[in-house]
Amino acid sequence: MLPKFSHVRPSSLRQAVQQLASSGSHVHAGGTDLLGCLRDGVFGAEKIVSITGIGELRGINSREDGAVRIGALTTLSEVATSPLIAQNYALLAQAAAAAASPQLRNQGTIGGNLCQRPRCWYFRGDFQCLRKGGDTCFAINGENEFHCVFGGSRCYIVHPSDTAPALVALDARAHIRGPLGMRVVPLGSFFVLPALDLARENVLRSGEIITHISLPPLAPGSISSYRKVRARGSWDFALAGLALALKLTGRRVDWSRVVLSGVAPIPWRSSETEKVLLGRDLNPRTLREAADAATRGAEPLSQNGYKVELVRGIVEESLRAIMESHPETPSERT
Amino acid sequence: MKQTEISSERNSSTDAQNLEPWTNPTVVGKPLPRVDGYERVSGSAIYPADLILPDMLHAAILRCPHPHAIVKNLNTEAARKSPGVRAIVSSADPEGKLVIPYPWWVPEGPPVLLFDQHCRYQGEEVAALAADTPYQAYDALRLMKVEYEELSHLLHAQDALKPGQPLLHNTGNLVRRPDTYQRGDLAKGFGEADVLVEETYETSCEIHATVETHVAVARWEGEQLTVWVPTQAIYEEQKSLAATLRLPVSSVRVISQYVGGSFGCKAELSKHTLIAALLARKTRRPVKLALSREESFLCAGNRPPNVMCLKAGAKKDGSLTALEFTNLGAVGAYADWADAAGWAAGSYACPNIRTQDTEVYINAGKARAFRGPGAAQSAWALEQMIDMLADKIGMDPVEFRLKNVPATHPRTGEPYTSIELRECLLKGAEAFGWTKARVARASSSDPVKRGVGVASCRWITEGGPPTTVIVTLFPDGSATLNMAAADQGTGTKTIMAMVVAEELGIPLQKIHVEHADTGTTQYGKSGGGSHSVMVYAPAVRAAAADVKRQLLEIAAGELKRPAIELSLKDGKIVPVREPGQPKNLSELKDLTRREQIAGIGHPPPEPKGRLIASFGAQFAEVEVNVHTGEIRVIRLLACHDSGRVMNPLTHESQIFGGMVMGIGFALTEQRVLDDHQTGRMVNANWHDYKIPTAKDVPFDQLCLTIDPKDAECNSAGAKGVGEIGTVPTAPAIANAVYHATGIRVTQAPISPMQMLALLAARREAR
Amino acid sequence: MNEDHDLKRTDDPCSRVSRRGFLESVGVGMTGIAVASNLSAQDAEELTEDAEPKKLSLVINGRKHMLIVEPRTNLLYVLREKLGMTGTKPGCERGECGACTVLIDDKSRYSCLTLAFEADGHDVTTIEGLVHGEKLGVVQQAFLEKDAFQCGYCTPGQIMAAEGLLRSNHDPSDEEIREGMSGNLCRCGAYQHIFKAVRRAAELKKEEGSA
Repeated sequence: MLPKFSHVRPSSLRQAVQQLASSGSHVHAGGTDLLGCLRDGVFGAEKIVSITGIGELRGINSREDGAVRIGALTTLSEVATSPLIAQNYALLAQAAAAAASPQLRNQGTIGGNLCQRPRCWYFRGDFQCLRKGGDTCFAINGENEFHCVFGGSRCYIVHPSDTAPALVALDARAHIRGPLGMRVVPLGSFFVLPALDLARENVLRSGEIITHISLPPLAPGSISSYRKVRARGSWDFALAGLALALKLTGRRVDWSRVVLSGVAPIPWRSSETEKVLLGRDLNPRTLREAADAATRGAEPLSQNGYKVELVRGIVEESLRAIMESHPETPSERT
Repeated sequence: MKQTEISSERNSSTDAQNLEPWTNPTVVGKPLPRVDGYERVSGSAIYPADLILPDMLHAAILRCPHPHAIVKNLNTEAARKSPGVRAIVSSADPEGKLVIPYPWWVPEGPPVLLFDQHCRYQGEEVAALAADTPYQAYDALRLMKVEYEELSHLLHAQDALKPGQPLLHNTGNLVRRPDTYQRGDLAKGFGEADVLVEETYETSCEIHATVETHVAVARWEGEQLTVWVPTQAIYEEQKSLAATLRLPVSSVRVISQYVGGSFGCKAELSKHTLIAALLARKTRRPVKLALSREESFLCAGNRPPNVMCLKAGAKKDGSLTALEFTNLGAVGAYADWADAAGWAAGSYACPNIRTQDTEVYINAGKARAFRGPGAAQSAWALEQMIDMLADKIGMDPVEFRLKNVPATHPRTGEPYTSIELRECLLKGAEAFGWTKARVARASSSDPVKRGVGVASCRWITEGGPPTTVIVTLFPDGSATLNMAAADQGTGTKTIMAMVVAEELGIPLQKIHVEHADTGTTQYGKSGGGSHSVMVYAPAVRAAAADVKRQLLEIAAGELKRPAIELSLKDGKIVPVREPGQPKNLSELKDLTRREQIAGIGHPPPEPKGRLIASFGAQFAEVEVNVHTGEIRVIRLLACHDSGRVMNPLTHESQIFGGMVMGIGFALTEQRVLDDHQTGRMVNANWHDYKIPTAKDVPFDQLCLTIDPKDAECNSAGAKGVGEIGTVPTAPAIANAVYHATGIRVTQAPISPMQMLALLAARREAR
Repeated sequence: MNEDHDLKRTDDPCSRVSRRGFLESVGVGMTGIAVASNLSAQDAEELTEDAEPKKLSLVINGRKHMLIVEPRTNLLYVLREKLGMTGTKPGCERGECGACTVLIDDKSRYSCLTLAFEADGHDVTTIEGLVHGEKLGVVQQAFLEKDAFQCGYCTPGQIMAAEGLLRSNHDPSDEEIREGMSGNLCRCGAYQHIFKAVRRAAELKKEEGSA
């Protein structure tokens, strides 16, 4: 049973921002993560500011410059089934479809998916952990099967979002409205590591709301995919996932983005893997080296060493699938 | 629940009729939709959680957050003043010292106090309150202040008997003297073996996780208590409630018409039911107490975790020579069963066996009976062990099992009334395309490996008295069936109505089932041990036959013919010699004058010197991605001998459901305790405790049956089906994973995490 | 546990940064940044702000209901406890089982994770809304025929999920059925029969449409 709070549903962005100015207020978009957190006492709320009545925050449309705008309140279902997204950013459609369950995708929004709180069972459970203001990260000596192998320090959460790594791979930007106005942050710099700030997972500040996401056009002929591995067939967060975007000539990689989910407190871009791939042909050796690069620097905890294997596995598998579906680069034969 | 070799008292029933099983039934055996299907699909079925009584209060329970602690101080003042709060009960009240009796199948154990200041598991009840609304109840709960002294905790069975460990009870951490069984000469058996294998298997603690949580609604009328509670066992709960509250049994009425899943966890008196009754008495208002999902994970039962060490030997011809099976199980904080080894003694014909079951307490929620209790864990170990032996002598696993099918019960030597295990294996293997599937392997370069596996199973069931059923026939040709049986989704209501329809020749739509209410039905055995059909079908049939006998006597008098020259067909009296002149029941004046005929039935005693058991074999096909550890079950086939299939539709539902539960047991389900720190459960919710979804089950599920035409087991010719369907699934999957990868996964569940770790370990070893 | 560790601290250093400085420090080169508007109290409409019960009107199964409920109340609670429509079942109250599935504007949603006030202005359909008089809806009929349940407790939620699926996809493939039904747990494990029932319901809907 939820504790008490007040609920306002402003009809304009301006009102919403104003409502959020008071302390103890929280944004309600789809509400799926917020109500879960309130029920579990992860944090409290005096006031829920629902932005669901703000029409301008919905919808997917293409802009003249070739970019695509996705309103923050667009549901994951809408993202997953939008022909515009499917045609241009297959990766994002796949990631949205892989999230949660059909009902949650009908309710959960793209903005909310980026801002959801970690699923660490100590954070969500009745444990006064470091991220909640306590003095211990229970994962370090505890049940850390699902925790991070990259980017952890003091706190070892993983970022739960599937769409976040996809958006990072697509060089998307978050458009943010707050009490001081509007700002734009590339998704690649939107998320915050525990080393920088223990209490938040992203750069959003008091009273700020994501209004929409913009996606630059991908170079023609680019391919992208999202591969998610989970312990259960659906309704489960990633043990690890791979958001991959590539531009190929034959099998030669001209450009790539490699972003992992489920392995770090933020969507984990592997620049090293991108470096290995750049200018090289996809062949068994490149695949192996790319997989090695993707796991370099991993620091597993006592129970999550499998994630290193898993990252290796999905990088190799995804690249192999692309390799096999593309003709050999002509120059390779010389 | 120890059900292998129990022999409950068998009352002889004087008026039990020795009816032969039907030879050509017209209703029984048909795939008919459920008689209560409309209620269940329309949303109009009223489960206890749905009950809204006038002036009803809502209760909530304050629970200990620690696995082991002493309540030093409890302050309920702020809660008492919170809006809407009407009553509080805690250890400060005399009621707090009430002792909850153990159910009949747990013969003894340390006393279970309603509110024990020594809390032995996370979630142990500390206090409870009732308020006008559920929101108010939870608001008030947050205001209760408790000071705990945390004690060191014990989480693993392996540690329980070591010195220096916390003691849960004055009597120590051993639940009961280890149960040992032995036959033949183990050393001799191992000596005779051509191959020996030794392995340790572990199963995880599995939670029942019924979609309906435990709920109780209690109402007092004077000194008469009525409780609506979803349960398999209305009379068990009635008896326990009466004993606890020192009330005459007749003053307690338990009603359980719809049960939202049980699988064994709703079959004994729970503290929350007693709490609802106490709060209702204190306030003189009806009280509803519905557990939250988290509470149901912590303290509403589980399948206990087992550590099982096996050693087995076989000859090259496939005959088992010796088996040693030692099990250590953790029942949780109070007495229950965590046995597994004893089951194995009755599975295969093996001359030399030693089994030992040791059960200990740990600081975690108590186990409860869980679908195939003990048998499912035992099969996880034994059925993998059988495959290891077959592998070692290079014999097909199906063939190996066929070699060791017992002719009689290997432990007692008693013959079965029927046993079609051999046929189950053969027919199942053929339909599955076993031989072909066994050889076809994916190419070595493909990271997705395919494999098939098999496992077999056995489940002993007892029917018989005491149970009383009443069938009432009205002159308009409609009937009421009155019986104690609950229907937790097994289809009992439907099947019993079909028995009445079969016997009286009246359509199913004209039969009303009045059931699961101690106030209106007669004593009947609780649903459990897969015996509902075996207990109730013969009883219902006897009651219907009693009605028929009386009816034909009336007709004989009116038609001036001997009763044996009359028959009952399609709800009409038909003279055998003049079948063209049937008589409607409404035309029988004597019947109309009597208004109704009531027939009483009891199940006849079980056949003497015979055992009744169901058997089966299941086949699984899996794909394992060795790059990611992902395991997909792509095909499951079951071939079962459960005697006569009363209703193929509900029978298939039972088997498929058991298999799906087996998928969870094999691949995803696991209670996770914060091992080295707080000892609390970290996954007491459905996201982190993963039961199978629609995407975890294969489209390709098939259920075949073999009817042994068992005329001895009972007058329905039916044996149990409720539990056996889940027993072999997990080991069949594990065997398939081995076939696919060459890796023997001994610890359930076979998660991608574990699979990847094992694959990596193998790579390193090479 | 209940301390608020979110970011609404008044001493947030960024709130002291001037708007211009703020934009310069974190705004990253992107054209088309909207100009911030000045916010003032008089621009905002009056919005009630307390946790006490408030008036709410909801349209459920085509009927309008006037209610007074606390803002924290979820739709599930309103349906069951305020309106006595107990066909919608509680299973977890945390969006992890699907027993409480209803349709909101024809889309399946968990009523436990939907605040009652969030359903204002939308059409809510519950299991009771699929029955016409005494006659079962086609999805209900198909579930009954195929024995697509055992205990029946998750069944209303399963049926609503199937109804939602079929309203957006008249002819789902096997894989689409499985995906569409993957937000509803069934502990009795009736999935196989559920798949059959959804296929059957799709047929029945087609027949109904062409009749």
